[in-house]
Amino acid sequence: MSTTREPNQNSETPFAPVPGSDDPRRGQEVFAPVGGPFEAPAKNVVSGPYYKGVEERLPELAQRPADPSSTEAKSGFNVDRRDLLKLFSASAVAGTTACVQRPVEKAIPFVNQPVDTWPGEPTHYATTCGDCSAGCGVMVKTREGRPTKLEGLPDHPVNAGSLCAVGQASLQALFHPERQQRPTIRFGSRVEASEWNDVFENFAGKLTSDKIGILTNGATGHRHGFFKEFLEKVGSNANRLYTFDSNSLAEATAEAHRLAYGLSAIPRADLSKAKVIVGVGADFLDVGTSLLYNTKGYTEAHAFRGPDKAKHVQFESFYTLTGARSDQRFPIPPGSETLVTLLLVNSLLKNPGVKGSAGARSQAQAVLSANSGLLNGAYENVGFTEANFDKLAEEMLTAQAVLLAGGSAFDENATTLQLAAILANELIGSYETVLFLQKDWLPAPVATGDLQRFLTDAKDLDVLLLIDVDPVFTLPPSWGVTELLQKIPTVAVLCDFPNESAPFAKYVLNTHHWLESWGDEQSVAGLWSVRQPSVRPTTDSRQAEEILMWVAAAAKKPLGYENYRAYLKKKWEDIRTVVGRTEVPAESYFDLVLQHGFDGRNSTQAVPDLSSNFSSSFRYVDTGRGGLRLVAPLDFRLRDGRHAWKPVLQEIPDALTTVTWDTWVALNPVTVAKLGLRKFDLVKVEGPAGSFEASVYPLPGLHPDAVVVPRGNGHTKQNGTIQGGNGINPLVAFGRAQDALTGAPVTYGQAVKITATGKFYELAQTQKHNDIANRKDIIQEIPLATAVANMGKTQDLDDVPNLYPAMPKQQHRWGMTIDLGKCTGCNACSVACSIENNVPQVGRGQVLLGRQMHWMQIDRYFSGPVEAPEVTFQPMLCQHCAQAPCEGVCPVFATSHDPEGINQMTYNRCIGTRYCANACPYKIRRFNWWTHRWNTVGARPQDRNPRALNPDVTVRTRGVMEKCTFCYQRVRDARHREKLNGIPVGQPGNVIKTACQQTCPADAITFGDLLDTTSQASQQRKDMRAYLALNGEHALKEYGLKTMPSVSYLAKVSLTAKPEHGHGGGHGEQQGGHGEQHGSQGEQKGGHEGQHGARQVKKAKKNG
Amino acid sequence: MRSAISRSLLPLLTVMFAVMAVGTSRPAYAWWMYTPGDTVDNVGYKPEQPIPFSHKLHAGKNNIPCQYCHSAARRSSSAGIPPLNTCMGCHRLVATDKPNIKKVTEHYNNNDPIQWIKVHDLPDHVHFPHKIHVKDKADGGAGIECQQCHGKVQEMDVVEQVAPLQMGWCIGCHKERKAKLECVACHY
Repeated sequence: MSTTREPNQNSETPFAPVPGSDDPRRGQEVFAPVGGPFEAPAKNVVSGPYYKGVEERLPELAQRPADPSSTEAKSGFNVDRRDLLKLFSASAVAGTTACVQRPVEKAIPFVNQPVDTWPGEPTHYATTCGDCSAGCGVMVKTREGRPTKLEGLPDHPVNAGSLCAVGQASLQALFHPERQQRPTIRFGSRVEASEWNDVFENFAGKLTSDKIGILTNGATGHRHGFFKEFLEKVGSNANRLYTFDSNSLAEATAEAHRLAYGLSAIPRADLSKAKVIVGVGADFLDVGTSLLYNTKGYTEAHAFRGPDKAKHVQFESFYTLTGARSDQRFPIPPGSETLVTLLLVNSLLKNPGVKGSAGARSQAQAVLSANSGLLNGAYENVGFTEANFDKLAEEMLTAQAVLLAGGSAFDENATTLQLAAILANELIGSYETVLFLQKDWLPAPVATGDLQRFLTDAKDLDVLLLIDVDPVFTLPPSWGVTELLQKIPTVAVLCDFPNESAPFAKYVLNTHHWLESWGDEQSVAGLWSVRQPSVRPTTDSRQAEEILMWVAAAAKKPLGYENYRAYLKKKWEDIRTVVGRTEVPAESYFDLVLQHGFDGRNSTQAVPDLSSNFSSSFRYVDTGRGGLRLVAPLDFRLRDGRHAWKPVLQEIPDALTTVTWDTWVALNPVTVAKLGLRKFDLVKVEGPAGSFEASVYPLPGLHPDAVVVPRGNGHTKQNGTIQGGNGINPLVAFGRAQDALTGAPVTYGQAVKITATGKFYELAQTQKHNDIANRKDIIQEIPLATAVANMGKTQDLDDVPNLYPAMPKQQHRWGMTIDLGKCTGCNACSVACSIENNVPQVGRGQVLLGRQMHWMQIDRYFSGPVEAPEVTFQPMLCQHCAQAPCEGVCPVFATSHDPEGINQMTYNRCIGTRYCANACPYKIRRFNWWTHRWNTVGARPQDRNPRALNPDVTVRTRGVMEKCTFCYQRVRDARHREKLNGIPVGQPGNVIKTACQQTCPADAITFGDLLDTTSQASQQRKDMRAYLALNGEHALKEYGLKTMPSVSYLAKVSLTAKPEHGHGGGHGEQQGGHGEQHGSQGEQKGGHEGQHGARQVKKAKKNG
Repeated sequence: MRSAISRSLLPLLTVMFAVMAVGTSRPAYAWWMYTPGDTVDNVGYKPEQPIPFSHKLHAGKNNIPCQYCHSAARRSSSAGIPPLNTCMGCHRLVATDKPNIKKVTEHYNNNDPIQWIKVHDLPDHVHFPHKIHVKDKADGGAGIECQQCHGKVQEMDVVEQVAPLQMGWCIGCHKERKAKLECVACHY
């Protein structure tokens, strides 16, 4: 381990994040007026409790490249200033000569206009999301026959109107210009585009063998049943249907419940009923089994509404969004989740208040005594004392508690962990109070052990169909899938976007995107959601099921259905009987379902007692302790890589690292320092099966042993311009190992070695602006006691002395409130905003230059010690200031103020001086450095398929400033409804929801009329928790920048006290020097303490 | 650096002045107005349509109300060109022997929409919702006659643009009627 670089050569630059300790200016506010912490100049940074990157705490980790030649090119677009001017003048000449006349536009009406369809008015379709097996209801808004926006289906029981980032991004998938346009057949090394009929004939010729298999992804509807029917019809058998999902949490949970109760089902977690939520490596809010349902319930329990706010304790080795949201979070060594759960079970058993049946208690006791060797020294290993476990157990037994375990990285004990969790939940009595297995449970989307069965059987298969799965990319190469595929004579890949398995296939058949498909999902047992096409196919594709149908027909073994819709309709006749819709005539029932989107009834199943040989199924594989361990969780945006081809998902930043378009190696800062590395050092990670190189990102709060590399990126260059060549796939390092009970691949906890390569590679981060300099008015947190004491009291944030004349009284003042206590950082709002408002994606090179275009961005702030920090997310968007600094500086009045509170941006007036962006203290104005169009800018082209744009929003061109408009198109629609239908704005039937608000699963965002005292937004603005960003402390009559934003934030209610200054102790030995530094700041700032009393609980006396 | 900029700008400025000089036969600023017609504001634009549909005959002589065919106007942002089945509603029986009607019937039978040429075309950064303007005052609309913006279409054999459709012209009416004047009313 050695680095050849000189440390911090460029630390003399004016942008060095923190002056060195010997700097005489350190800690002196030379320009600050007396008592004015809000006006402290940024260069005299006085660190507050919050930090955005570890370099603010450990400046030695923030490096500059020692040798410029080792730096990778910053941007794909390298034009020197002079060339650029020449380029511009050339284009201007071309413009002046060629574009004297605008093009003649055509108006093409329908031939037969469908009834009740009007050009310019949207039509909505109810359907079911096909991006994962959670089966969320979706409402597709279509204009002139093409989808322009997806929303959650408002009354769907699973997602209740919300949609996650991945679901929102589906629209880009539908209109992706690089989707395969026609089916292809491979002849030797030659690949030929073909006609569908030829494909069917050709393929049918291969169906002579009876060894035909299908590998497909998880699904809960009738899809798998149809595949089985196909296999039987063509002479194979139904057992040759294999299911595989990279997220094997569902499989592990279902298998654990089969072993424990004989029921292969997943309990539905209604978190709204829990008072104490304990997560052990759980990721129920980011990937999980049904993240929107979980988020809804979690918000209901965990959001502040009074003293009975639920408490969330999380044990995890790396950072998940779920852990970031928790009240207490304890980093544990990778792979020790089962240990932690067993220790908790131990403490629960010891507690006299333990619940659960006698059988469950004796099984728990049996498991503990059988694994007593394992528990030896376990407390030291997990770093949490027995007394603390006892205390937690006591809390879990006194209030309604639930334990959720398992995330999206899986080791050998993933199912064993679920078994341990079952024990814990039995002992705290959470079954049928929070976890529902008896009533409305979740069906398992994949069959247990299918992957191992597939690997055994595949050697003998003659024909293999890969439907919507990519085993080459999503399984570690050490599993030898590539070799396996090469051995199978005929492989067909059926997918909506070409994947990494396609080069090994004879047939690559382009299937419909789910927005073009028929289908259904059984989201919850007894709840059926239907999927219907909302657009005519955009490419010459076919639905996967219908390809099978036509192939079977060509092989003279027809399945006997006209199309897949007919198959579904037949299946839904049974559902009609089960649900009991006898009053609806059979022939119109399916149409009714298509209109409504779903149907169902509550289901119950008998749950037997815990199996008497439960303890014998409990098998723990000791994977060793200590040393660096590789963790490859699913990325919450790209999942296992299946969404990596959607630019909007590549460009929304990872919530914790804020990195876009790349893969990183996240390490605990202490580990980074110990290895002699610094931020963005390119390192080689060597695992049992292989190695890869990626940049180091020091992420506070990871366990020092965890080497966290997210999955999702690492596609080959041939695999499309969006995903091809981005980052690396960490699976190459994993040796072949599997879950002891289900056979799912291990992606967690294998020992790795890290070596420096001596190279530097900068990751494209979105949040890299400077220290927030101890400002109290950006992020606010208040302790529960203060929040409770303030309940019922109100404040008027708009009561501010003002020299300007008052605005004329208007009918409305539009405003927004964002509850920081609810935001989970899931970024769904950001994607929804980008899709609704035609916000372009700019690519890695431009993000490196700070030119990302998000109107809505999620900022992430750490507080507390680097080893175990707390995370707060803050959605940041145009604040629509009543006294906006941007408006006064515009020389052409392109940005001005609407009397109804909207800071309006008139694109056609903008001449691109960017004065407004300089003046904006919130830094959310975005400038179009380019006209973002497919394949025009830099190395990373952007998807701007005109068909994927929202026709209600102007598309901005180069040289124009843009920013959040509060979705004015929606405000306009509501005003028209008010005038034409007579329903006042804000009343039921005419409620305005901005795109971000509508999709937010945590209901953190509220938009409304601030002048309407009954609106939720205006009431929340009066809440004592409300504050205006950068507008000082209203209670202390300090008004900060006095911009008077229309957006207000509700302070996060914290269960743990937050120190006012400094870093809350715990710096570790090696940073003693810094502790001292910050200590002196603390004294310096001591004089201001009195001013912040209203909100801060505890004035931490400095570590100095 | 300053000299580098001016050197680079020189050809640009030269060409700009040259184009402005050449353009004096039209209004001097015509080179950046980008209109398909011959005038700056496109007034008088009168393109030949694929089918010589006469509004004078239909709306004038036969007195068919505008919104009988343009029925989307009161329901949608877009006034909408009527679909072919609206034409065929009458022309299945009326004037079936005329060559142009035969053409329309052929389009209809082949499921091939007619590609009309847009006469009134606002820039993409302006949003003009028809429904709120044309609906009767009693129904919450502004109750504006179609003719106010589109001219006496019922007297035109070939439709031409009569109003400039420029911002000053919009604002004039909005001021007169005390309608919303904020930028965001039309630009978002």
